[in-house]
Amino acid sequence: MPGRQIIMSFPVTATSHTLAEYRSRGGYGALEKALRSMKPAEVVKEVTASGLQGRGGAAFPVGRKWQVMVYDDGQPHYLIANADEGEPGTFKDRWILENNPHVLLESMLITSYALNVRNCFVYIRGEFDLPYRRLAGAVEEAYAAGFFGERILGTDFSCDIVVYRGAGAYVAGEASGLISSLEGKKSYPRNRPPRLTVRGLYQRPTVVNNVESLSNIAWIVAHGAAAYKEIGTPKSPGTRLYSVSGHVNRPGVYEAELGYPWMKFLEEDCGGIVGGRAIKCVVPGGVSSKVLTGAEIKDLALSHEALWDVGSTLGSGGMIVIAEGTCMVTLSQILMRFYHHESCGQCTPCRHGTGWLHRIMDRIVAGQGRPEDIERLYYIAKFNDGTTICGLGDAAGYAISGILDKFRDEFEYYIEHKRSRYDGNLECLRSS
Amino acid sequence: MPEIFINGQPVQAREDQTVLQVALENGFFVPYFCWHPQLSIAGNCRMCLVDVEGRGIDIACNMPVSAGMKVLTESDDVKAHRKAILQFITLNHPVDCGICDKAGECTLQDYHYIYNGDRSLSVDEKVHSTKFYNLSNRILLDNERCILCLRCTRFTHEVSKSMALGVERRGDVSNIRPVEDRPLGEDPYSDNIIDICPVGALLSRQFLHKSRIWYLKPTPSVCPGCERGCTVQIWHRKPEWFVKSLDARQNTSIARITPLENPAVNGPWICNKGRDLARIFERARADEPMMKGRPVPLAEALDAARRLIGAARHPVALVSSWGSNEELEAFKRHLGEVFHAHVKRDWLPEEGERLEDDLLIRPDKNPNRARALELFGDDEPGYHDGTDLVLVWGEGCDFASIPAQAKVIFLNSYLAPENGHADVFLPISIQTERTGHYTNFQGVVSAFEPCFPKAAAVSDAEALFRSLAAPARGHP
Repeated sequence: MPGRQIIMSFPVTATSHTLAEYRSRGGYGALEKALRSMKPAEVVKEVTASGLQGRGGAAFPVGRKWQVMVYDDGQPHYLIANADEGEPGTFKDRWILENNPHVLLESMLITSYALNVRNCFVYIRGEFDLPYRRLAGAVEEAYAAGFFGERILGTDFSCDIVVYRGAGAYVAGEASGLISSLEGKKSYPRNRPPRLTVRGLYQRPTVVNNVESLSNIAWIVAHGAAAYKEIGTPKSPGTRLYSVSGHVNRPGVYEAELGYPWMKFLEEDCGGIVGGRAIKCVVPGGVSSKVLTGAEIKDLALSHEALWDVGSTLGSGGMIVIAEGTCMVTLSQILMRFYHHESCGQCTPCRHGTGWLHRIMDRIVAGQGRPEDIERLYYIAKFNDGTTICGLGDAAGYAISGILDKFRDEFEYYIEHKRSRYDGNLECLRSS
Repeated sequence: MPEIFINGQPVQAREDQTVLQVALENGFFVPYFCWHPQLSIAGNCRMCLVDVEGRGIDIACNMPVSAGMKVLTESDDVKAHRKAILQFITLNHPVDCGICDKAGECTLQDYHYIYNGDRSLSVDEKVHSTKFYNLSNRILLDNERCILCLRCTRFTHEVSKSMALGVERRGDVSNIRPVEDRPLGEDPYSDNIIDICPVGALLSRQFLHKSRIWYLKPTPSVCPGCERGCTVQIWHRKPEWFVKSLDARQNTSIARITPLENPAVNGPWICNKGRDLARIFERARADEPMMKGRPVPLAEALDAARRLIGAARHPVALVSSWGSNEELEAFKRHLGEVFHAHVKRDWLPEEGERLEDDLLIRPDKNPNRARALELFGDDEPGYHDGTDLVLVWGEGCDFASIPAQAKVIFLNSYLAPENGHADVFLPISIQTERTGHYTNFQGVVSAFEPCFPKAAAVSDAEALFRSLAAPARGHP
């Protein structure tokens, strides 16, 4: 086990997701503590002091987002758990929803108490089946046990929850796109300003947090910010869930303390690379983060600051390990197809830029690439960056320019020889 | 009043303004497609990118001003970004300006020449989409030309409230589409989306491939469709581009009608009725004075009319609510003492026409009833047994109610069976042939100007009244 555990701290069994077992692990104790012995402002203070960073991708401090909400400004406030986990390579929230849904619900209750929220929402990815059923079951259990509804635990605090299923759009995972979708509109992201904490759902102050970020709240309230800060590194406290996929022997979801050595994690916890091959590169946190080569990650620790230093990010924790012998050109084509398919089409650079990237990649893979195509890919990436409403346009650009920076020769080889240097391989067969 | 700096120049801004508004107000040019002063901020075209010191490139239309901010609208970085945005916009745009009705007044075309000028950097096939999609019986949609600025959808949601348009699918295959069971054809303001479309995606069926814009000129006018009196522009062929070998009627017919922005009356909008004035003005015209259906020279008809007026003891006049302020005043001045005048409603609402709404359309379908009532009061035409002469000015008269013994002088612009029954019939000019003013129901006066010459025997009503007031020459 890579360090201490917060969310995955129990053995998964057929019933470990139920309320009874969650309570036997001390569940809903933190809610009790918060409601009975803490003022809402104290909860916010505790979370701010813990230094918890958002786990959805941007690593924005949770406490700072919360502080923007004015507790008694006379408006309704909303809390939304972003469970629209769509970043390719990311499936960590799914683990929480399937195996520990009550930790999310308890944390949302505490957060609602802290932020004066009467109604909170879970926006769950429409493709999630078991996670949805487990979550819906947990909500039912929680209502039956009196954790939701009027006068929770006999206090003045009341809170209701709605689980809303998305309809399959990657941009609905962007907080403002999610809100548009939740309001029943097309999931077009919104321009900032105003920030969502000023005008969000139904034009009211709204906090949108990732499922994993929220799931840490119960632990922080139960054990205190000081205990939380002891886990992880000074700049990145706590643990992170990593959904590891690609050419490793034991792919899956792992919880690791921040600052844990990367290679050790891959070698020991994930069982090493398939067939004992060398690591060609790793997508650290969802395909929108820039890839890092095997050499770059050799001595790297898994922490936000360490990855920022090398120009990438831990992102959403969706780690894709790519072994030597994989064709990066074909991989890029697949990524660009994804962004093209998922662009919502609201703003110009992304609507056309992602399609343009995709068509160029298609052409290169079909053996009709031109030498100037590499220049063109960079051009599109450059002018998609910072000119779009949400981060999807930027992300498509980061993904392609990140790969180009490190594997340009492979693209040049493909364009010149009209074929892949690695026969277009993406799979890594165990026998090879 | 925060002070901000645009290209180094200090300008005063109000706190609730955006950088784009301040820039435009102070004469700095910032290009934009999706922004529209009357619509909500969409911020999707990304054309209005400016450089703000300390914040980098961002869109001006959604950027609130803050004191001391330093904005660059023409830096090299901004220009490079604008050029790239145009590369993106034209990536799948057909660039078929040669056959596009919008060419010549197309924002995309203009910006291309200012900021891009290069051919597309792409060598791949464009994304294809539907052409001539049938949005309504008035509007066609070319989805390939559409740049998805969403001005049209926002218009139907925020201004006309018909909610008739939305976006279907996503990414570069997004299409503007009508919303089921909310037909755009029933939106009486739908044609405004043709005007606010920054490109040639929304096409008027009436105007489709009728003329190039640069052959036309706009003449300011006032819509006579209701008492709102929206200011419009009547587009017609420039004299220097008159056709010679083709149908010459093109030279004297209305090509299209667009709103003339007027904050006091109609803002930038008009309703569809105002687009269809050709339906009113281009009906068959009466161009010969007549007596009992017999064509006569104008002088003879005038003489006869003067004699009738001179002989009448209880003359009644039905005054047109389509007359201009000048004509109404001329009638009052020259004939007001002679006739007992009543204001007539020349036009009544047509079957199925929208009577009234909270945007523009007003219940009374005559342009100048307000001024006519001011001058002549609101009595009903009280014919009595002694009524021996009725002067009918304009359409909408119930001839059956005129006492049988009364003589009729009829002033009309269009062919009508009643023209031939009148004792004296005098053809008069229409709004597109003269200057004048209308007073709308709010008391706002708007001017119209002539577009076309009138036929030789057709008179302006104002001149007729002066002439009718002169003493009759001799006796029959």
